[in-house]
Amino acid sequence: MTTIHVIENPTLEGKRRAFVLAEDRVGHYPEFREFFVKRFSLDANALSRPGYVLAPSGMVYALVFIGRSGEPFPDGIEVYALPDALEPLNDPEIDADLWALLRWMIAGVGGAWRVEDLDATGRLYQLSVAAGA
Amino acid sequence: MDASGAALRFTHEEWPYEPKFKQVNGWRMHYVDEGIGDPVVLLHGNPAWGFLYRKFIKPLTAAGRRVIVPDMIGFGLSEKPVREQAHTLDGHIANLTGLLRQLDVRNTTIVCHDWGGPTGLGFALSNPDRVRALIIMSTWAWPLPPAEFHKRIFPWRMMHAPLVGPCLLGRHNALAGRGMYLSVVDRKKFRAEAQSVYENILPDPASRLLTWTWPRWIPLDESARGLARFEWLERELRKSKLPTLLVWGREDEVFDHKTFATRFKELLPHAEGPELVTGRHFLQEDSGEEIAGKINGFLDRIEGR
Repeated sequence: MTTIHVIENPTLEGKRRAFVLAEDRVGHYPEFREFFVKRFSLDANALSRPGYVLAPSGMVYALVFIGRSGEPFPDGIEVYALPDALEPLNDPEIDADLWALLRWMIAGVGGAWRVEDLDATGRLYQLSVAAGA
Repeated sequence: MDASGAALRFTHEEWPYEPKFKQVNGWRMHYVDEGIGDPVVLLHGNPAWGFLYRKFIKPLTAAGRRVIVPDMIGFGLSEKPVREQAHTLDGHIANLTGLLRQLDVRNTTIVCHDWGGPTGLGFALSNPDRVRALIIMSTWAWPLPPAEFHKRIFPWRMMHAPLVGPCLLGRHNALAGRGMYLSVVDRKKFRAEAQSVYENILPDPASRLLTWTWPRWIPLDESARGLARFEWLERELRKSKLPTLLVWGREDEVFDHKTFATRFKELLPHAEGPELVTGRHFLQEDSGEEIAGKINGFLDRIEGR
């Protein structure tokens, strides 16, 4: 498995939320906000629940959507891994999962935003996770 | 909230300067303050800090000048807010204004580079009684259009796109490392002498927030947040009669001198230059002593020394 799958009801028992990434301005390019609104039906679901995704490592991630008064929803996103409660994160696996998450997001945003350009940007900055992409 | 940790002092053979701090506009700002004479304020941009000017300080102080080198809030040894909403263009101009008013500088020369341009020129144009000259390097001060480079998705807009910025520039520190490396001429020397300094001053993802926040403040269309301030900068700069020197890197592909220095010459027809030196965007890394010499020569001329 190399991609991201949206899942509805992951098992949360025995897991913890481990913070891995925050985006304070998901609408900087509005098409990114629109992608998350559509993909997770946020017009209807709003703050009622996180969006859950299954990543290539097998780790489940919770996407927690952040609202701010006066700004379109969501204004921000926090990404949490859901490891076994007492286990530390495996950073290389997290990096690979995050890159897969970014590729999935860029593919979903579409239009002028291309996964090839994301991978090329990663290679330009010599990210190992982008090397084989 | 702050991501600075305990980084209040930095020791390096090329940076033997006493760290100083002022509380400005609600934040703790670090600066060095060396020498005696009329002040020369050296302003860095993204993702640098005062260390970028390490080769300027001794020649300028030796020539009888006071040199003040602030670290922008969010960089260097200054406080590093952890929310993007803490950073605005007007807020950064106010931060600098807070410092320079506390230091009560007069007859000041503002030397600005990258985001030190919009912020430093913002201070100069709103505090003309404190400023006597400008040195402008590899920056801009007008709303649209930015460089063609800034409009492209690969690599510029992709690099700081939502979630991509926090991952690529935050988790992986791409701008302070590889990004600066790509923007100097002598890359081998930069890697040996300086790259790790710029990387290590931003040790954790949370400390790197401004590296992807500043790119988001470059206006790309009429709806951009900073548009009105850049319109003001252009309008006020056009009225400026301050003695000005333009210094540009000959190899600068991002703010290329044919586009950007030429535009500054249109706004400031009395400006001297552009003096071209070896350098890409971070021209101070390749030609620090030479630029310091040009600043001394320029100030000597306008002072009648």
